[in-house]
Amino acid sequence: MSLIDEKDQVRTEEMLLNVGPQHPSTHGVFRLVVKISGETILDAEPVIGYLHRGTEKLAENLQYTQIIPYTDRLDYLAAMLNNYALCHTVEQALGLEIPERAEYLRVIVMEMNRIASHLLFIGTYLLDLGAMSPFLYVFAEREQIVQMFNEICGARLTYNYMRIGGVKWDAPPGWLDKVRAFVPHMRERLKMYDDLITGNEIFLNRVRGIGKYDTETALAHGMSGINLRCTGLAWDLRRKKPYSLYDRFDFSIPVGQNGDCFDRYYLHLLEMRESLKIIEQALEQIPDSGPVLGKVPKLIRVPAGEYYSGIEGARGELGFYIVSDGKDKPYRLKIRKPSFLNLQLLPQLLRGQNMANLIAILGAVDIVLGEVDA
Amino acid sequence: MNEEPRSGTDRPASGDAVAGGVDQPATESASEAGHSAPATPRPAKATEGTARTTGAARPAATGTARAAGAAVAAKKAPPPPDPRVEAAKAKAEQVRLALEAELGDGVVEETGAAHLTPMVRVRAADWARAVATLKTHPDWQLNYLEAMAGTDYLAQGYLEVVVYLQSIQLGHFICLKTRTDRNQPELPSLVPVHPGANWEEREIYDLLGVHFSGHPDLRRIMLWDEFTGHPLRKDYNAWDDTDDPAAPAGSAAAAAHPDGTGDNPVHR
Repeated sequence: MSLIDEKDQVRTEEMLLNVGPQHPSTHGVFRLVVKISGETILDAEPVIGYLHRGTEKLAENLQYTQIIPYTDRLDYLAAMLNNYALCHTVEQALGLEIPERAEYLRVIVMEMNRIASHLLFIGTYLLDLGAMSPFLYVFAEREQIVQMFNEICGARLTYNYMRIGGVKWDAPPGWLDKVRAFVPHMRERLKMYDDLITGNEIFLNRVRGIGKYDTETALAHGMSGINLRCTGLAWDLRRKKPYSLYDRFDFSIPVGQNGDCFDRYYLHLLEMRESLKIIEQALEQIPDSGPVLGKVPKLIRVPAGEYYSGIEGARGELGFYIVSDGKDKPYRLKIRKPSFLNLQLLPQLLRGQNMANLIAILGAVDIVLGEVDA
Repeated sequence: MNEEPRSGTDRPASGDAVAGGVDQPATESASEAGHSAPATPRPAKATEGTARTTGAARPAATGTARAAGAAVAAKKAPPPPDPRVEAAKAKAEQVRLALEAELGDGVVEETGAAHLTPMVRVRAADWARAVATLKTHPDWQLNYLEAMAGTDYLAQGYLEVVVYLQSIQLGHFICLKTRTDRNQPELPSLVPVHPGANWEEREIYDLLGVHFSGHPDLRRIMLWDEFTGHPLRKDYNAWDDTDDPAAPAGSAAAAAHPDGTGDNPVHR
């Protein structure tokens, strides 16, 4: 059998290619069954659930405070935001008052965590595309943030820092000054990343115009976060449905123009700048002392009813839906997982693409499998 | 499970104020709570200041009433209805009128408030039609399916599916729900209306066992295909390795494992 057909072209046939579940570019245990013909992707089917731990079922047998450590393990790159999303929903249900210092500390650690998470996105995304150096660079800044988190809550990854009604620990002496010093440093480094990556011809050719979709598609598929904003719609819950203290800060919502992979990359960079602005203002406004945990009953019983609230997580709208029957444990707890919903469009984006674009498109969705599988 | 965990209106009369709703427009909440203007430095002495989770107005004196042990007094005279809950209920009524105008009487079974969000419960048969109507209705334009969840109400004998719909253009935020029988759970799929419901419905099918008719690809998503049972059902027994994990108490399967661990290889 000849490899060359009548038209002097290489004969190809359809084949199935398994990407993952153990593959560095899937950022976790994610499997993608790709049907390819030559270099062209005909179809792709995501297979998820390898990391399914049944968090929602487990939560039904846990008191509200006991659920907080479980949220750390959802999107483990932005655990502070997960902590907050759960506490916020319960606080809304209870109508709690949060001490001002606690709320400022929350905003500061949440935005720091957003920066750490976005940094890792840029590092791993570039690594996926073959650029090794940014990966090593971003870990230096991320390490500084992680060290500061270690000082404030004693953990580097699974923080379990927030409590219903406030935060567990006040900032240790000198901690806020460290953050204050970190902001200008980070600003400098962001400028460097911008120079290093954004103008790079090879990088641009790999991401510009790739994986494009429009606002309609993104909305129809329930996308949120940067995956939605890259299409040009300024939908950021910190502005659209302000929670915490976000109505006190001056920051803008960067949006993309083309909805392609480049926009998704660049928005991560721009959002870090906005986060720095928020941290700076929060550091100015935070009261010097005061309680960090509000008056909360020892046993938290949420009034019977159902509650939903979402916050702007690092990857999109992170929401908790709680049904309570008045007991100290939720009757039902459902997590609105941004990565899970953002991933849905992937097969559609991959169809007809060149095989080499698979990693570029998958990486730009910015998934964390702990959250996708919950 | 002896009382029905539902709408946020039947909260205990302890005078607990509820925090600001997620569906409140930004501009209102900022002004009502008397927040300082954005970017204004806070005075350092504001140690006693407290911040609301979101800044909506709260009924007077609720904070102190609780601390002073006035809950007993509050029980005698129930607090006035929360205006935000009342507003949500009124909005739910408007949704009902819009739906009935399009789909006829009887489509809406109940209106109320899910905490501070307007809640409308529609007939199961009209589930997808109601969502589609609200998506294109010029007054509502609920074009963004923000969240979807299913809940098993074992004592009441039904499964409830709830969606939170958002209008990007008009800012409406509505909770729409429907119920289906626990033993024959079937609902029309929302995928033709909101493609984003695809994986959510697969998850609800996987974990709760609701069949969505018209779904293009209804398979398990979190668990493997050979798995039996639906873990988020309240009567699910993880240790029962017979084919029917939802076997009623007193059945042969339940008798074989009285404590639910008897025949599990892990414990042998």
